[in-house]
Amino acid sequence: MNNASAVKALWDLRPGEAATVTGFGDTLPVSYQGRVMEFGFQPGARVRCLLNPGFGAPRVYGISNSVFSLDREIAAAVHVAINNSVEGLA
Amino acid sequence: MRRVLLLGSPNSGKSSLFNRLTGLSQRVANYPGITVDVASGPMVSLPDTELVDFPGTYSLEPISGEEAIAVSFLNEALADDNVSHVLCVADATRLEKCLHFILQVIRECQLHQKPVTILANMSDVIRDNQLHFDPIGLSEALGVQVISVSARESQGFESLVECLGVDAALNLHADRNWRETPNEILRGTAQQLAEKFSPKGDVLINSQLRLDRFFLSTALGGLAFFAIMFLFFQSIFTWSAPIMDAVESVVSGLGQAVVPLIPNKVIADFVADALFGGVGAFLVFVPQIFVLTLVIGIMEDSGYLARAALICHRPLRVFGLTGKSFIPLLSGVACAIPAIYAARSVDSPRQRMMTYLAIPLMPCSARLPVYALLIATFIPSDTALFGLIGWQGMALFAIYFFGMLVALLVTGFVSKASKNKQPEQPFVLELPPYRLPTAKPLLRNAWNRCQQFVTQAGKIILAVTMVVWVLGYFPNGGADLGQSWLGTLGHFVEPVFAPLGLDWRYGIAILTSFLAREVFVGTLGTIFGIEGSEENMLPLVDHIQASGLPLGSGIALLVFFAVALQCVSTVVILAREGSSRLALTMLVSYLVGAYLLSLLVFQIVSVLL
Repeated sequence: MNNASAVKALWDLRPGEAATVTGFGDTLPVSYQGRVMEFGFQPGARVRCLLNPGFGAPRVYGISNSVFSLDREIAAAVHVAINNSVEGLA
Repeated sequence: MRRVLLLGSPNSGKSSLFNRLTGLSQRVANYPGITVDVASGPMVSLPDTELVDFPGTYSLEPISGEEAIAVSFLNEALADDNVSHVLCVADATRLEKCLHFILQVIRECQLHQKPVTILANMSDVIRDNQLHFDPIGLSEALGVQVISVSARESQGFESLVECLGVDAALNLHADRNWRETPNEILRGTAQQLAEKFSPKGDVLINSQLRLDRFFLSTALGGLAFFAIMFLFFQSIFTWSAPIMDAVESVVSGLGQAVVPLIPNKVIADFVADALFGGVGAFLVFVPQIFVLTLVIGIMEDSGYLARAALICHRPLRVFGLTGKSFIPLLSGVACAIPAIYAARSVDSPRQRMMTYLAIPLMPCSARLPVYALLIATFIPSDTALFGLIGWQGMALFAIYFFGMLVALLVTGFVSKASKNKQPEQPFVLELPPYRLPTAKPLLRNAWNRCQQFVTQAGKIILAVTMVVWVLGYFPNGGADLGQSWLGTLGHFVEPVFAPLGLDWRYGIAILTSFLAREVFVGTLGTIFGIEGSEENMLPLVDHIQASGLPLGSGIALLVFFAVALQCVSTVVILAREGSSRLALTMLVSYLVGAYLLSLLVFQIVSVLL
């Protein structure tokens, strides 16, 4: 387990890493910011990176019991604070 | 009849619930004024109530054309006096992604004085995984009734029927007024409610993650994708063969029984040649349409289609498309028309236009009879691996692959050649849980698709075969086709098709196929005058082989049909969804491209062989 609190982009999470959403970057269109918030990517929500399919493909993130695939444009604009690491998901 | 609207986010189990509540007795039609398929049907428990299945959407703030149409439909429906109640379906196991939509729906219903009830679906999953969900608390917080239901186990339906029977006014809670609440506040409220009422934990993810690790892994996932696509095409051709044989036998038996009973020679010839020869030859391919629709349905219902969209996103972007184009493109393998409608889900107008460009090049089911006929003419029916893999299936895979390759090359070229004034739209997609598909709705859907194919294409084919038969039968009573009106017309257009090694008969068949591609087979059936027991593909294959059609012309025909836009309905829908200019440009450029490509192929094959 790791209890760091570094702020970085959601895209930078490795499979198995968990983090808390802290905010959104300016590069994300407002409509998409609204949509990802509706999906549960709200400031304060706990998100974990589930899979990185590789070759630049969209990555897979879990929020509660839902799973979403986000590409770099969105995931790089979602700011997160790493506060925990979940074992066994890599 | 009073109407009840059924709303919900995608993957909330809305369609399953609809099927359960209506007993699969729904009809699918375009809602007046809006080109979107809306299923509706009387409820089993309340026959005087029509349940209307609203198109799924995540939010009433649309980000795609599809969602904009869904929202517009909702506004229209809420103003309809016949709509007496709104049911909003939510996935109780994933409540956090539904709550904002639920609040938006409640607000709109309150504004329109319509009672609304929330159906918290998946109560069986909540129970089986020992999750905690408090429908009473949520009901108090929202100010509307919340009923726990399970579409899979048909649970909670008594409470729902009871709720719909209650006077509408009783359902309007004055103490929770969302009418004036802006979206930003609703979003914050949704988050607070999610924290309080969403089932805690992520146990459901872990089971789905095991499968995702395989299907989305870099190496194995790619292999699995190609294996699934390979099996998909094999199923269309090789596995559906026994059903096709059965249909052939039925059509053949009917022909043998009916034609001898007709005393008048002209009518007997008409029934034998135009009906059993033309329409009968096309009916043989209905089982393939059934298998095709069934397999696409299985992929969609199992949750794999969303994974395939993710896998394809990166490669498709190279060609100016997006992962969200994958589902319209795969739908295009069944039929271009629903595929064009499905392209509304592509958020970016530019990528949607690229998807439109690609869809008519996807090997749709209307091409299947033509491909099947030509492949059966030139490729032996030998099989390997206990009959699971056949050469004809391999040939079909190759021509399907060719169509898809051309589609990607076209979009890639247009994408590179045209300037992009807008930034690329980002990609966000929910990955639904893997589920075992339910047989009944899938079979029903495949059956509906076949019915649609037969009734819509069948009308055109019947009309065309009748005209072709009359032109070919007169003025000499069918004695010499070459001297008939059809023969005269065919000889007139022959110079256009001669460079492809095709004589006037194939020229006529190509011309008629511009109404619908599958007419090609029926027209050839009529031209070759297949009668009685011969109303099936094999005798038509024999006739084509006997006509001396060279291999180069066969391949050129395959290429021509893979590229040309020979479907009036597709052109009309493209004009409606895109623009008339786009539709006309595609019609002309794909026709010219198809002719030049097939000419090139014929010349190359002729030199090589």
